[in-house]
Amino acid sequence: MTDIKQARRGKPVVDKRLLHYYWERLSKNRMSIAGLGFIVLLSLVGIFGPIFIPDPQKTDFEIKNMPPIGFSIDESVYDIKTGEFTTTVILGKPDHPLGTDSKGRDMLAMLISGARISLLVGLLATGIAIFLGTFIGVLSAYSGGWVDNALMRFTDIMMTFPFFLLLVMIVFIFGPSLAIIVLVIGLTGWTGAARLIRSETLSIRTRDFITASRALGASDARIMFNHLIPNVSSLVIVMATLSIPGVIMAEAALSFIGLGDPMSTSWGTILNTGQHSLDTAWWVAVEPGIALFFTVLSFNFFGDGLRDAFDPKASI
Amino acid sequence: MKSVYGNYAKVKSETVLEVINLKTWFFTRRGTVKAVNGVDFALKSGECLCLVGESGCGKSVTALSVLRLFDSPPGRIVQGEVIYKGTDLTKCPMPYLRKIRGKDIAMVFQNAQSSLNPVFTIGDQIAEQVMVHQRISRAEALDRARMLMEEMNIPQPGRALKMYPHQMSGGMKQRAMIAMSLSCNPAILIADEPTTSVDVTIRAQIIYILQELKNGRDMSVIFITHDLSLVKEIGDRAAVVYGGKIVEVAPVEHILKNPAHPYTVGLIDCLPDISAQNKRLPSIPGNTPNPLDMPPGCPFHPRCPKVMDICRAVEPATVNITDVHAVSCHLFVNMDGGSGNG
Amino acid sequence: MVSNLLLQVKGLRKYYRVTAGLMSRTRGEIRAVDGVSLAINRGEVLGLVGESGCGKSTLGKIILRLEEPTAGEINFNGIDVINLKGRDLREMRGKMQIVFQDPDSSLDPRMTVGGSIEEALVVHGISDSAELEERVARLMEKVGLEAGFRERYPHEFSGGQKQRIGIARALAMDPQLIIADEPVSALDVSVQAQVLNLMMDIRDRDGLAYLFVSHDLSVVRYLSDRVAVMYLGKIVEMADKEEFFKAPLHPYTEALLSAIASLRPDGRNRILLTGDVPSPLNPPSGCRFHTRCHRMMPVCQQIEPQLTESAPGHYVSCHLYA
Repeated sequence: MTDIKQARRGKPVVDKRLLHYYWERLSKNRMSIAGLGFIVLLSLVGIFGPIFIPDPQKTDFEIKNMPPIGFSIDESVYDIKTGEFTTTVILGKPDHPLGTDSKGRDMLAMLISGARISLLVGLLATGIAIFLGTFIGVLSAYSGGWVDNALMRFTDIMMTFPFFLLLVMIVFIFGPSLAIIVLVIGLTGWTGAARLIRSETLSIRTRDFITASRALGASDARIMFNHLIPNVSSLVIVMATLSIPGVIMAEAALSFIGLGDPMSTSWGTILNTGQHSLDTAWWVAVEPGIALFFTVLSFNFFGDGLRDAFDPKASI
Repeated sequence: MKSVYGNYAKVKSETVLEVINLKTWFFTRRGTVKAVNGVDFALKSGECLCLVGESGCGKSVTALSVLRLFDSPPGRIVQGEVIYKGTDLTKCPMPYLRKIRGKDIAMVFQNAQSSLNPVFTIGDQIAEQVMVHQRISRAEALDRARMLMEEMNIPQPGRALKMYPHQMSGGMKQRAMIAMSLSCNPAILIADEPTTSVDVTIRAQIIYILQELKNGRDMSVIFITHDLSLVKEIGDRAAVVYGGKIVEVAPVEHILKNPAHPYTVGLIDCLPDISAQNKRLPSIPGNTPNPLDMPPGCPFHPRCPKVMDICRAVEPATVNITDVHAVSCHLFVNMDGGSGNG
Repeated sequence: MVSNLLLQVKGLRKYYRVTAGLMSRTRGEIRAVDGVSLAINRGEVLGLVGESGCGKSTLGKIILRLEEPTAGEINFNGIDVINLKGRDLREMRGKMQIVFQDPDSSLDPRMTVGGSIEEALVVHGISDSAELEERVARLMEKVGLEAGFRERYPHEFSGGQKQRIGIARALAMDPQLIIADEPVSALDVSVQAQVLNLMMDIRDRDGLAYLFVSHDLSVVRYLSDRVAVMYLGKIVEMADKEEFFKAPLHPYTEALLSAIASLRPDGRNRILLTGDVPSPLNPPSGCRFHTRCHRMMPVCQQIEPQLTESAPGHYVSCHLYA
């Protein structure tokens, strides 16, 4: 391994010049930059937001079902004694700018803490999935022969694995929690990445510069670490970026149907509570929906832009 | 704008296609690519005009511009005319252009692999081409296809018609493409580097076929290539393209014996087969210009061994140095022998 | 006494098994290289021509042990190359190098060009940064590039420049033989001349030998001392350059030369071959070329001709001269 160390010789892993080149290409894609902007905003909100908000879980039935600022809703109450409906108009107020839910919890606070949860889940689950996928993909492509065959058959089996069933079983046994969701998504979501990374590695292996390195006498390990992995890394980054929205949506969907932690304020959980009050408090479902929509869209735009920036054949 | 050939056009035979000051630019995010930047030529009936140049000089885009086949955003013909049978093809309505395509003016591309539809047999593809333009039955169209295959020296033409592209070799595919382009007896055939991606012996077959075709049919050919030896074999006249412009045009023997433009001189000199053995090959320093960033004045000036101050600032006009030989270079500005642009 | 013989190849074969089906049944064999023998002396340029599928690129790779031969011998400087392992193999690798055809894929896009050029030095144990920097600078100057460009990435260079970088990389360990696999085919004509001049200069200055693989006969005529022609995995003719171009013997060579008007030997007509190159999975019986040969005789269909020396230094594999 000494020659690998010598090759790097204190140079930064990613060269400033190369970064600059990719950034130039990326910045020409306006949608992509917009997506990146939103992601940065979301990250700031998710990281620092929860410091500034009141406890999102604090219930206060006095102020339940308040609409967002600028909106109003009619509330009808049936009086048993008089047999009549009295309708009052409730207005949105600035101290709860996005309204409250049926238990009086502040929507803005919940959404902000939900942002943190979505990001965490997105990053962690994607991290696990991509790491596993890269490891298996590169190993499979590089080994070839029976190892490649065995790993790919294993991947095929895992692809058909009913992860949903697994999740339900685990939740049934251990009770619902976000950690379980992260683990299950991560441990079953690597298969697509493994295949793509394997095929990319295979195609890089046949390129002339790899042959040139072999002709110079480079060892297999050196070729793998100094040539293969840096060239696959762009695919990995793009895949990770494009997987995050899927993971966030998966978590939201699972929480929505009740498999997530009901005590958390993830957007999916909020959606879950909101589905019952669409007529009386429509904002409880719509707001997390909008948040999810923009988050997924931003990651997709940014990921697409990244993919084009990295692709040498894309004319930018 | 006068066409480059001035007197020569009238001397020989009639002109079938005239391209006047054509400019095709591509408006991309990175800037404006001036792929074709002022091209003039006239194609005469029955002649083979070779457009010669290196990669990026604009010769392929010129050919595509005749039939408006380039991607239309981002490309656009910003100036110029392409006159065929009295109509300007750059401005005519699409239905008319479609009638011309394939029937009057046909095109053969470089890479037969990607130009043939993989899910249809060759016979079907040729027949389709014919039936689009003429009202004949499918059986008749297939019969015509078979005759074309025979003309192309394809063995067992009947069987070949039923083959799919992937079942054919590279040379056969290229010939099938030529057969397809001839199916409606076009007046003009535009061949864009048809022999670049095939082996030498197959290339010889294709060149032979093209020569026979030119002599046998009443057809004019625009032949695009970077290979000067091909020009010698098949061309009547050659137009040298550089930086989106035609820098020199003359009958082939003239241009190979007495090249005028410094680029043409350099190009001929740096060919290994014509120069002397085992001596250093003369070469042209530098690189072909980037169409995104064309130098001002004459596009060749950064590499020209005879560059003068005026070359860096002013585009040279086209001048007739004999009545069949025109050059676009400041070295010849005072040598106008014919009625050039001066 | 040091022999002049640098590389000797005897009876080299490379067969690829073609498998099909779920259980990978062997369906046949592709005989990419089928019994090739040749020799290259120090400082000599051997041009190797042939069309696609003839095996010339595979031959180059086998000589460098980038692929393992099925049978045959390769001797470099008297040492048997086929059985080399480990450090000996690596040392040999410094002495025999390769330059590729496609400038875009021959350099790692994620590595600086300086990094690509110095890789050979690093692999062979040179670790002192100052020495590496100096040697890379010298190599870059040798191929006509400014040493200051070493921190740039391949995409910042033109095709011709990338080929020069590839040549600099090959020269890093002072090789004695370079296998040039179509090094100028992907370049523009005006740039081709620059790179060819560079290769000639290096040959003259350092006494390098080349195996110059190409399909372009005019380039081969310019650069080579001797020329060999391959067809479907076998060498069909090999001769000194003058002899080769003036008086080719094998019908295939005649056809190749006649395909290019300027190379047609004086007084000969154009020869057009019929048909296409046969599939290497199913080569014709007897002489492989007989299906397209304009001078075929009955014996050609049955018996394969051997490569024999029909004139001093002029080898041909054809029944016309047996």
